[in-house]
Amino acid sequence: MQTRVHFIEELSRLNHDVLAMGTRVEESLRKALEALKTQNVDLAKEVKAGDELINALQIKIEDQAAVLIATQQPVARDLRELVTVFKVTDNLERAGDHAVHLAKAAIKLAGEPPFRQVDRLVRMAEIECGMVRGAVDAYLNQDAEAARRVAAEDDAVDVEHKLVVREVLELMRERPDQVERAARLLTTSGFLERLGDHMTNICEAVVFMVEGRHVELND
Amino acid sequence: MESTGAKFDVTKLDLWYGQTQALNQVSMKIEANSITALIGPSGCGKSTFLRVLDRMNDLIDGVRVEGTVLYDGADIFGSADVIDLRKRIGMVFQKPNPFPMSVFDNVAYGPRVHGLHARTAAEKRHLSELVEKSLVNAALFDEVKDRLHKSALGLSGGQQQRLCIARVLAVEPDVLLMDEPTSALDPISTAKIEALLDELKVRYTIVIVTHNMQQAGRVSDSTGFFLHGELVEYAPTKEIFFNPRDKRTENYISGRFG
Repeated sequence: MQTRVHFIEELSRLNHDVLAMGTRVEESLRKALEALKTQNVDLAKEVKAGDELINALQIKIEDQAAVLIATQQPVARDLRELVTVFKVTDNLERAGDHAVHLAKAAIKLAGEPPFRQVDRLVRMAEIECGMVRGAVDAYLNQDAEAARRVAAEDDAVDVEHKLVVREVLELMRERPDQVERAARLLTTSGFLERLGDHMTNICEAVVFMVEGRHVELND
Repeated sequence: MESTGAKFDVTKLDLWYGQTQALNQVSMKIEANSITALIGPSGCGKSTFLRVLDRMNDLIDGVRVEGTVLYDGADIFGSADVIDLRKRIGMVFQKPNPFPMSVFDNVAYGPRVHGLHARTAAEKRHLSELVEKSLVNAALFDEVKDRLHKSALGLSGGQQQRLCIARVLAVEPDVLLMDEPTSALDPISTAKIEALLDELKVRYTIVIVTHNMQQAGRVSDSTGFFLHGELVEYAPTKEIFFNPRDKRTENYISGRFG
């Protein structure tokens, strides 16, 4: 006999929304990087508008999770899964904000000859699109090994970030007239670097959910 | 679990009711001044295990026990006096079972049986003090102090259960065994008993059988999960409810047993 049918159904509804939220964040990030690459201001504006939906999903998911904790008294892995949901949504929401930062940068940098460091930002965002999808999948599939693989991809993001910083500093020295625009590259790269950290946080939470122990995946 | 400080040290305990084996190689150390919860589905052996600790199973025909049960280091099946053992190990049952007599006489019953008489004024005062102290410690005194000499059967279910706890405390035991002590009570009475348990563990070692998972989680320090007569997992309660090691424990406490 299948027991706790209601709880399992509610949990699967909740996870459906987590998937929707992850998909929206990935979509925002992809649009933002396309906007940056192609200097498409309209696309960048779509990202800003779409962020509200991501925030609304976060609230919906967290309310559902709180109700499940209150009414179903989950324990053990069920409880760890619901605790993890809060970490997943929190970090996805922050990732959505960073996608908006990237979109804003795309708007500001549009209309002028692009810096070649923009390619590095695009590269970072491309890796991160895969990380967002991978982290959410690892959560949904309760797959700790997949979570570890996704977190490992953050190294490549960090490498790009360091190169951006080094190159932009050189650029600033060579082209003092471009300092303002170059500074935008630096901050945007910083946002993308943090976006990778947020995905690593999700991966750590997934390992905790599956294995019941806390791990550090980004040292 | 540390071996030092164990109130009970049970090793490889087997128990049969006739041909039926009810406990299978159960080993468990129960720490003094702690609350140990025993959980598991009906028929898993948890109540049988509880009744081993004060040798209540001796009263059932055809029960055979193997293995050792040390209580404060002494074998309870050895030369120990059963009456003395049951005086030191009190039991509270699922259904409150006050005697059909006054509140006072219910609590005084045990001490009287054990030879505390109230012939002189000094003896009477001593008995009164013992009854009052027991009722205070069972968190019942304030509710019954004006009706000590009225029938205990007029108390509410929750009050009756606390009276039964007071009755056990009056013989000044060392251990409290409780077999689903709140399953017949409403949530407020249950909360009172649970708060009481927390106070009592300072002075007593408490072992509680419960079908209420949340109760085990709320009140106990350690939890043992029994299944088909075996102790599947025994660990600090927070580990059992957050990160159990055994899949069977996980399934049971999550309500996923089909």
